[in-house]
Amino acid sequence: MKSIYTLLIAGCVVIGLTACSKKEEPVVDPVVQEAPAEAVEAQQPQVNEDSLAALERERLEAERLEAERLEAARKKLQEMMDRLMSEDVYFDFDRSELTEEAKTLLIQVGEVLNQEPRFTITVEGHTDARGTEDYNLTLGSARSTKVKEFLSAYGIAAERMETISFGEEKPKQAGESEEAFAKNRRANFRVNVK
Amino acid sequence: MNKLFPFVFFLSMAIQVFASIDTIAVDVGISVFKTMPIGVVPFTEPSGTSLDWPDEKPHEVAERDLNLSGRFEIISVPKFDLVKLSRARAKFYVTGKIEKALNNKIKIDCFLYATQSKDLILGESYTVSLMDSRKAVHEFIDKVIYQLWGVHGVASTKLAWVSKIDGVKQIVVADYDGFHRRQLTFDSTISMMPVWSHDNERIIFVSFRNNKPQLYIKDVATGTQKRLFKKFEQTFSPAVNPKTGEILFSAITDGKTDLYVGDPETQKSRRLSFLKSSQTSPSWSPNSSEIIFTSDRGGSPQIYVMNSDGTDMRRMTFMGRYNERASWAPTGDRIVYTSMDDGKMNIYTCAIDGSDIVQLTSNSGNNERPSWSPDGMLIAFSSNRSGSNQIYIMRRDGSNVTRITQGGENTAPTWSWYPIHKQTKHKEGKE
Repeated sequence: MKSIYTLLIAGCVVIGLTACSKKEEPVVDPVVQEAPAEAVEAQQPQVNEDSLAALERERLEAERLEAERLEAARKKLQEMMDRLMSEDVYFDFDRSELTEEAKTLLIQVGEVLNQEPRFTITVEGHTDARGTEDYNLTLGSARSTKVKEFLSAYGIAAERMETISFGEEKPKQAGESEEAFAKNRRANFRVNVK
Repeated sequence: MNKLFPFVFFLSMAIQVFASIDTIAVDVGISVFKTMPIGVVPFTEPSGTSLDWPDEKPHEVAERDLNLSGRFEIISVPKFDLVKLSRARAKFYVTGKIEKALNNKIKIDCFLYATQSKDLILGESYTVSLMDSRKAVHEFIDKVIYQLWGVHGVASTKLAWVSKIDGVKQIVVADYDGFHRRQLTFDSTISMMPVWSHDNERIIFVSFRNNKPQLYIKDVATGTQKRLFKKFEQTFSPAVNPKTGEILFSAITDGKTDLYVGDPETQKSRRLSFLKSSQTSPSWSPNSSEIIFTSDRGGSPQIYVMNSDGTDMRRMTFMGRYNERASWAPTGDRIVYTSMDDGKMNIYTCAIDGSDIVQLTSNSGNNERPSWSPDGMLIAFSSNRSGSNQIYIMRRDGSNVTRITQGGENTAPTWSWYPIHKQTKHKEGKE
C-alpha cells in the first residue's frame, strides 16, 4: 500500500514537472489505474443482495462518522468562540494602554483568529462606573481600538475586527468596590462566523 | 482706612496663594446672592365644596416655584398678616382666588400685591381643569419674576432625564419641578444623554438599539423619531446650538473621538477638531461663537475652549486631574463642570477664563451632569447622596439644594430652553 502512495506522489510530481512541457509517455498511467482496479477486484465477489445491504450500512456508517466529524468541528469552533468571548482584556484606571498580561492574552486570541479565518470579531470597550458617561465612551473606544491595533500588528486583517464602545453602560460586576471597578475596566470579544 | 488697607491686601494675597495650590476655599451652601422676601397667602377656595387637588394646592405650587427659582425667601402666612409680612420685609405677597367654572373647570385668579399699600401689582386669571392648575400657577409665577426681577422665570420650563425603568435606562420628560413625568422611550436597550431641540418639541438622545451608541431625534408630542448623522457608526454627547439649533456631537471614527457639528434637518455635518487626542462633551457659548469641550490631549480629561469654527483652541482648567462635561451658563459669565477627586465626582463653576473656581457640592456622594436653567440662576444635576441616583436643583452658588425625584434611579437631567417667544424677549432685554 505504501509503495502505491509513493508511486502516486512520484507520479504527481512528474506530472507537475512535465505539465508545461510537451506530451510524454505517461509513467503514471499504470499506477493510477492500479488503485481502482484493486478496489473493483475487492468488490467484485460481493455483488449480491447481502453486499448491497452491507454497502447501505457502510454508507450510513460513513454518514454517521461525517456527522460526528462535523459535530466535533462545530464543538471545537464553539469552544474557540466561547474561549474568545470569555477572555477579557483588563486595563488600569483611566488608561487604554495594554498591560503585559493583556498582550499575552491577545497573542492567544490572535492565534485562535489565525487558526479560524472564518471568525470575525467585535471588540467591545468598557470602563468602570467612575467618571462621566461621555468621557467613558471615548475611553471605552480607546481601549477597544488599542486591542484592534495590537491584533492588527499580530497579523489579523483589520476588516475582520469591529470596535464598539459601551462606556460604563455594561458593567460585568455591579457595585462600587475596587474589585468590581477592576473587572469592569475591560475589552471583551463577540465572535461572528462568516 | 489706612490701617485696614494692608490687612485687605494680605487677605487677597492669601486667597491668591490658596488658589495657586490645590486648595479651593468655598463656602458650600451659603448663598452669595441676595434673595427677596415675599409673602404667600393661601388662595381662597369656593365655600361649601372641597376641590380634589391632584397633588398640591395653588399656593403650595406657588411657594415651591418661588423657592426653586432661587430668587426669593418665602414668608408663608395662613392669611394676610401685615405685621408678620412687614417684620420679614416682604414688600410683596402672592395670593389668589379659586372659583368653580363651567365644564368641570376652575377659575384661578392669581394676584401679586404690595404689602403696605395693598395695591394690585399684577393679576392674571386662568380657567383650567384641576389637572392643569399647576401649569396656571407656573405661568403666573414666571410673570411675577418678570415683574420683580426683569427676567423670565423658569417655572414653565421642563426637564428631560434618564430613568431606569424595569432595569433599562429610558428617557423621561417632566415639568422642571419633577411633576407630570412622562416616559419618552420604550426600548429594550439603553437610551441616554437627552437634550432638547431648540423649539423644545423634540429630544435628541443616544440609543444603543443597534448595539452601539447612536444619536436619535424624537418628537415629544407625536413620538416619531429618526436616526441622526447616519454616516457615523458611533455618535454621542449632543449639544444644541442656542441660536441655530445645529447639533454639536462626538463621533468615533478610526477609533478616535472627535467633534462634529451637523444640521438635524439636512443631516449634513462637518468636523471641528483635528487633534491626535480624543475630544468629547461639547457645549456652546450663549451667543454660539465659542465652544467648550473636553480633550485628553494633556493625558487626562481637561476642559478647553475654541472658536466655533475650530480655531484658537486654549486650555481652560488646570486644577485637578479630571475635569469634564463643561456647560456654559446662559448668562455667559461662568461655566459649570464636573471634577473627579479621589474617585468622587463633584460640581464646580469657574469664570470663562478658568479663574475663580467655586466648588458647589462636597461630601455627599457623586454629583454629576450639571445643566443650567435657561435664566442661568439654577443648576440641575444628579447625585447619589441619598443612596440612589436622584435629580436635584440648586442655585448657581450651590445653595438651596432641592431634590425633585423620589425612588428609582434618575440621572443626567437636561433643562429645556425658554419657549421660543421668551427666547427673543430675553435676548432683547439683555442687549
